[in-house]
Amino acid sequence: MIINGKSYTKKIDPLLRLIDFIRDEAKLKGTKEGCGEGECGACTVIIDGRAVNSCLVLAASVNGKEITTIEGVSQGKLHPIQEAFIEVGAVQCGYCTPGMILSTKALLDKNIDATEEEIKESISGNLCRCTGYQIMIEGIKKAQDKLKKR
Amino acid sequence: MHVKAVGEGFIRPDIYEKVQGKAKYPDDIEMEGMLYAGVKRSTIPYGRVLKTNIDEIRQMEGVICVIDYTMIPGAKCHGVILKDIPILVQDIVKRVGDCILLIVAKDKVSLKKALDQVEVEYDVYQGVFTIEDALKEGAPILGDKSNILYDIKVKTGDIEAGFKEADYIAENCYHTQMTDHAFLQTETAVAHYDDEGVLTVHVATQYPHYDREEVARCLNIQEDEVKIINETIGGAFGGREDINPQCHAALATFITKKPVKVVYSREESTISRSKRHPMEMFYKTGVKKDGKLCALKVRIYGDTGAYASWGMNVLRKAAIHATGPYVIPNVDIEAKAVYTNNPYCGAMRGFGAAQVPLAYESQMDILAEKLTMHPLKFRYMNAFDVGSQTATGQKLKSSIGIKKCIEKIADVNQMEL
Repeated sequence: MIINGKSYTKKIDPLLRLIDFIRDEAKLKGTKEGCGEGECGACTVIIDGRAVNSCLVLAASVNGKEITTIEGVSQGKLHPIQEAFIEVGAVQCGYCTPGMILSTKALLDKNIDATEEEIKESISGNLCRCTGYQIMIEGIKKAQDKLKKR
Repeated sequence: MHVKAVGEGFIRPDIYEKVQGKAKYPDDIEMEGMLYAGVKRSTIPYGRVLKTNIDEIRQMEGVICVIDYTMIPGAKCHGVILKDIPILVQDIVKRVGDCILLIVAKDKVSLKKALDQVEVEYDVYQGVFTIEDALKEGAPILGDKSNILYDIKVKTGDIEAGFKEADYIAENCYHTQMTDHAFLQTETAVAHYDDEGVLTVHVATQYPHYDREEVARCLNIQEDEVKIINETIGGAFGGREDINPQCHAALATFITKKPVKVVYSREESTISRSKRHPMEMFYKTGVKKDGKLCALKVRIYGDTGAYASWGMNVLRKAAIHATGPYVIPNVDIEAKAVYTNNPYCGAMRGFGAAQVPLAYESQMDILAEKLTMHPLKFRYMNAFDVGSQTATGQKLKSSIGIKKCIEKIADVNQMEL
């Protein structure tokens, strides 16, 4: 599989979850496990353009696919979504943040003009237990502006 | 030097690492030769452990060692106030989730296999799961001498005279439910000996100084031989005040001399951690025709579960806040923390002050209706102000914002107070 543009070829246990491959084999620790059952979205990664819970995907099933983790979002410099999250202060404990940013990226890559309703739906699979949703939506709107100006 | 902070928007310094996924939480730590440890927990709420298949587990492939309470060199229990939560139980389990055996294995897979293979034989006792049952005569005693961990009374004025003055009375019972913090980053600890031979525990905690004391007590070593490193904390909300994996990781390292990681699954996290107290709140509130509150009688029972944790502090706060922000001259409040075989309850956002508003604010609405008075106006008439005295006798001198707040609400709604 290809993670953040880097190719990984490895013989693996067919039951290995994608999150374990990312964290333990590729040693990319930005992808977080919150529940292990697809409820919280902390482990969200982008697979071929779609935001997916990496705890519900078997690593073997993404053979040949392109995966983006949080480490692949800011290559060299911060992505406008990250800049926007910083500027509005859309981060508290930070554990949901990588997943939240990836869900946002998957949305805005496809639909830069997403409405507030579409934004809410796109992050509806990402729990923030510090409950900072409102400011994240503000951050996502700010990211839309930044991306449009680029 | 003059630093203006209030009203200024600052960028928090940890945000840069967090948006890039670079913030280090305990589970992101890897060490050379690191072992994995985990705990077999009780599946029954009350009973005696008769035997386990510890010898069989010790022989399993990948298992480095299996630790029971006899191998703890120091204190067998921990706790923020009372030292009553077993690090590993000697024989009695008082809740689902009590720790029975600590298994150390060479990797996660071997650990999971070993934990799945543990068999525990119990003598199952009849537990108590409601406050009512716990207070019945003949109920099993879960505390020191009774099932009442804590009992506080707040009294002022003359309660009988107060109710005689009342033109309207509201009398109701309110219940709140148990709540879990459910912070996203589950409890994780990594223990190892640092270059200077100091036993070091990396953890996300609300009390590194308490943790150091508890780990030192458990291992029977000096506090300066223990270092607690607080990594990035993935949410806490009060749920990281009681010790969870700290002593287990430290004990495993102490015995094996190797780095050890303990990671909780979401299920283990939910089963093991403290909760918000469910409360039963009996309220009787009296008011005069002119809208002035004159008497309040309150009885609060908090289900504190199997262990003390912060139970006394939480029920104390519930009692102190039971009047709400209102002046009431005649008050009779009692609050009790009651042991049961439910999950133990402790700190969670508000610490006892979060449950009582359901009761006192509902009472205010019900009384406003009886008085045919607008509920906002009714609250305004009775709200604390500078110079008011609380039921505990505190004279309020400053920072009493409720009247201003109500004025603002009235203003927005173009309402006369």
